[in-house]
Amino acid sequence: MPLIIVSSDNFKQGDEIGQKVAGVLGYRYVGRELLTWVASENQVSEEDLARALDDPPGLLARRARRQRMLGYIEAACLNVLLDDNVVCHGLAAHLYVRAVSHALKVRIINEPEQRAEELSQAEGISLDKARKQVLRQTKDERRWSEEAYSLDQTDASLYDLVISLGTLELDKAVEIISDTVSYRKFQPMTYSRKLMQDKALAAGVRLKLMEQFPDIRVEANDGTVVAYIQSLKKDQRKKQEMVRQIAGELPGVRHVEVHIIRDLVGQAAQSSR
Amino acid sequence: MAIITISRGSYSKGREVAEKVAQRMGYQVLSRDVLLEASEQFHIPEVKLVRAIHDAPSVLERFTHGKYCYLTFIRAALAERAVQDNLVYHGLAGHLLLKGVPHVLKVRIIADLEARVAAEMKRENLSQGQARALLLKDDAERRKWTQSLYGVDPWDASLYDLVIHVDQLTVDDAVDFIVQAAGKECFKSTPEAQQKIQDMALACRVKAALAEDDCVDLAVTSEFGNVLVYTKQDDRRAHRLEEKLKPLAKRLPEINHLEVHTGQPFPPEAC
Repeated sequence: MPLIIVSSDNFKQGDEIGQKVAGVLGYRYVGRELLTWVASENQVSEEDLARALDDPPGLLARRARRQRMLGYIEAACLNVLLDDNVVCHGLAAHLYVRAVSHALKVRIINEPEQRAEELSQAEGISLDKARKQVLRQTKDERRWSEEAYSLDQTDASLYDLVISLGTLELDKAVEIISDTVSYRKFQPMTYSRKLMQDKALAAGVRLKLMEQFPDIRVEANDGTVVAYIQSLKKDQRKKQEMVRQIAGELPGVRHVEVHIIRDLVGQAAQSSR
Repeated sequence: MAIITISRGSYSKGREVAEKVAQRMGYQVLSRDVLLEASEQFHIPEVKLVRAIHDAPSVLERFTHGKYCYLTFIRAALAERAVQDNLVYHGLAGHLLLKGVPHVLKVRIIADLEARVAAEMKRENLSQGQARALLLKDDAERRKWTQSLYGVDPWDASLYDLVIHVDQLTVDDAVDFIVQAAGKECFKSTPEAQQKIQDMALACRVKAALAEDDCVDLAVTSEFGNVLVYTKQDDRRAHRLEEKLKPLAKRLPEINHLEVHTGQPFPPEAC
């Protein structure tokens, strides 16, 4: 049975919809609670993990740390999504579960004016100020996803369905989503399951190598892992061997290929010494 | 009963969705016909109206107000049809032309660029590069058009109640969603909603009549037939406008009362 991935511009609403859909369909709900497990598994604080998902992009130095936190979350979430009948929200899965045909991706949005009115009432600020804050929130949301996954999460084309709660009520959105998963096209196929397994394997390999290679990019296909790392020419052999050894020890990995991306900045720094 | 506007790009199957929704609900379907109606009603060649609704205004047109007038005529023709209710409109900017009407379900249909390119290649017998270039140009033109006239990006999902990606979801799935959503209480036509659309149609009619008489850069509202015309012109010119409005008030019996307001910002709900 399918996976449902919910993304929302309002965390509370997305969470409520996710839980209600899971309740209606009898699916498992995976939300921010997963962070407790991710934190203990990787010896990091739960707060840092949540911050990596919520905080707008900041200093360059914090970027590497955030990418590492997101790597932990991604690997854990993809492992959970290998099972069927899961509703997932709040873990940015809409940005890394792409092209998997049995995953229904839904975005829940609110009209900006309505968001501004709610914010103005909740925080006791003027409507004008609230409008500016809503604009800034949307911009931050876009910047966050572009920096972390090179995708704009406010772009409707990333989703199968975008539902505005401006006029449609939350329960109607639940009804629409619950009805959609019964469509034949969202049933898992051998190919879509394999794609999901490949993604989970690639995320697992990346997780193991992230400490040593923060910019590593990993692809997997049926047990063959292709890793892209940055390196100076002189370290190339050593690094390739290291990646092969670490990745090769992981279950499910049959063959490792390492591609070198020239570290032009490092090269320039070294030649100027 | 409801009014449904479907915004779409070329080759994104929006027309097919709109026609099937109309068929399923027993509604009228309207697209380019609105241009024909505006063309007949206001004696403007259809080609000029097509250009007005497709190409973004040039710098010169911002001064000559040609596009302003054509859009006013198109909006007036669309509002007349919307008064009759039970309507599916697919085409550019339906959700913006009928802004302020409460029982309008605003839908956008999107499709993957590759699928659209393949459809255009097949239909127009073009190479992949030509089809892609044409589609990208068309998309850019539509975005520019909406941005220059309404200050919003038509690709912004927050302008719609429902955005459906026709790829994994089929045309029939999209039809199911729309029919399901349109059945909701808030999209049913109430006496208040009907009054609002009648007022909007009247305001559009007044604005179109004034545009025909070269009176541009103004906004019109109507509430139960009480029509307010907003202008940024000075008092002397506003007086001339009042003179022009007098015969109009006699010609349109739905007008109870007519007033001209100067030096006030245009209300957002105005036509």
